[in-house]
Amino acid sequence: MAKNKLEICIGTPCYLMGAADLMDTFNSLETELKSAIDFKTCHCLAEECEQAPVISFNDKIYHDINPEKLYKIIRENIR
Amino acid sequence: MSNKTISEVVKLKRRLYVELVKLTAAGKLSEKISELPFQMITKDSPRYRCCEFKERAIFTERIKAALGFSPADTESVKLSELAEQLLADQLPKQESIVEVIATACDRCPIDKYFVTDACRNCVAHKCVNACPAQAIVIIQNKAFIDQNKCIECGRCAAACSYNAILENQRPCARACAVNAIKADKNRQAKIDSNKCVSCGSCIEACPFGAIAEKSDLVKVCQHLINPAEKVIAMLAPSFVGQFGFKVSAPQIKYALKELGFNDVVEVARGADLVAAAESKELTEAIEAGQVLLSSCCTAFKNMVKNDYSELAANLSQTNSPMAVAAAEYQIIDPAAKLVFIGPCTAKKAEALNNPDLDYVLTFEELIALVSGFEMNLATVTGKEKIEDASKLGRQFAYAGGLENSLAELIEINYKSKQADGLANCQQELALIKANRHDYSFLEGMACSGGCVGGPAAMINQKAAKKFVNDFAIESNLDPAK
Repeated sequence: MAKNKLEICIGTPCYLMGAADLMDTFNSLETELKSAIDFKTCHCLAEECEQAPVISFNDKIYHDINPEKLYKIIRENIR
Repeated sequence: MSNKTISEVVKLKRRLYVELVKLTAAGKLSEKISELPFQMITKDSPRYRCCEFKERAIFTERIKAALGFSPADTESVKLSELAEQLLADQLPKQESIVEVIATACDRCPIDKYFVTDACRNCVAHKCVNACPAQAIVIIQNKAFIDQNKCIECGRCAAACSYNAILENQRPCARACAVNAIKADKNRQAKIDSNKCVSCGSCIEACPFGAIAEKSDLVKVCQHLINPAEKVIAMLAPSFVGQFGFKVSAPQIKYALKELGFNDVVEVARGADLVAAAESKELTEAIEAGQVLLSSCCTAFKNMVKNDYSELAANLSQTNSPMAVAAAEYQIIDPAAKLVFIGPCTAKKAEALNNPDLDYVLTFEELIALVSGFEMNLATVTGKEKIEDASKLGRQFAYAGGLENSLAELIEINYKSKQADGLANCQQELALIKANRHDYSFLEGMACSGGCVGGPAAMINQKAAKKFVNDFAIESNLDPAK
């Protein structure tokens, strides 16, 4: 088990607002970061679909994410 | 990372689509539409312009385009009136799909090259020497470009040792391969409808979101909620994988039927027929020693007609897969409303002149529709078999697919060439014009990567191509004759 946990919501509202981009972002992370993260997708994270896309990193929920924000969140919070 | 990440402009458009679907589904479109700009643009929402009032004015124009009206023609008409007209089927016939929202255009500078403060007035003066038009002079210790003389060749910018000369072309004009975008006397962008091929590049390129495409979303939604009407979803060959990485084709078919579509068919079926007809045309062209140009990409076809009219006779006479599939379905059920669903804005323009087709939606519009109906595709478990086309038709979705399909159908030896991206297509067309080509067939696709790289594709084209390819191989059907 890796130390960190990333969940990306791929429910339709999040997908419409760019969840596929977020998955691409994760897939192109540096190996060092990527290997320290357990990644999975889910169908709805927080029922806050107006602020899609939603992710959770190490059990904290983040709204209205884009690839740049996701990268920053991972860098700043990785254990 | 995919090359086109979703900007705030795109998000705003998609949020608007979802809201429009919700209002239409609730039967409250004409009643509530005027409130939308106030609901979605508030004092606290992120602001990109001078004030929320301008933001709302622009948003109102955006709504008009989303309803399918021309923002320029309906400047003084209220949103509620437009909504009523639309629901009563009184949308005037539209001439074009891609339009500039005048209030949103920031009137970017027109001068293509200018000298920045990084200029050190060096001794070498490479810029002055590089300029073939003697347009650069030194004023107040700094190079200065005389815009009346500048021929926009870019040699000065390339020559400067300090990168002090900037290329500052308007993003919309830079993105437009067919030079359809000009600036009017107020520096506002203007689209020349005689040159525009509705490829959608400028919509994506403008960072102000000042160029919009018209949409059939509300109309399709209105038909879907009426159980008396038959609405048919015709999925472009590139649809696989576009609705979520884990949503399979049979799941999509099931979900769309749940949504209210009466039937879901593959346009690849039309592509099968196109491949068969085009292979006969190509055999004739090879025997006659001529070159055949593909005709399935509308944007490419229109560019040939507009800018290379001497080659128009070389275009394949076969209709596009969308048109062929629609004509076939029309015979089965003339009363049904046919909705083409694809990654493409050019298909919207093609459908304006095709009476067989009723509406065109893009993938993003369809997903907004799904989202507005509060359906979550990721949780759909039902499946329904979808198999209308063979491998040859299904692989039309990526650049080189048509070329491969024809090679499988034609037994004699011949050379062919594939070009994707309008600029690459132009290069090949210039070669053909000068008779310096060595092939009998040119597959031209306006978007880089083919349809999987289209302006409304939801996933990166590499992944999309793999989805399409796997789906093509899965087919058990034989190619059409």
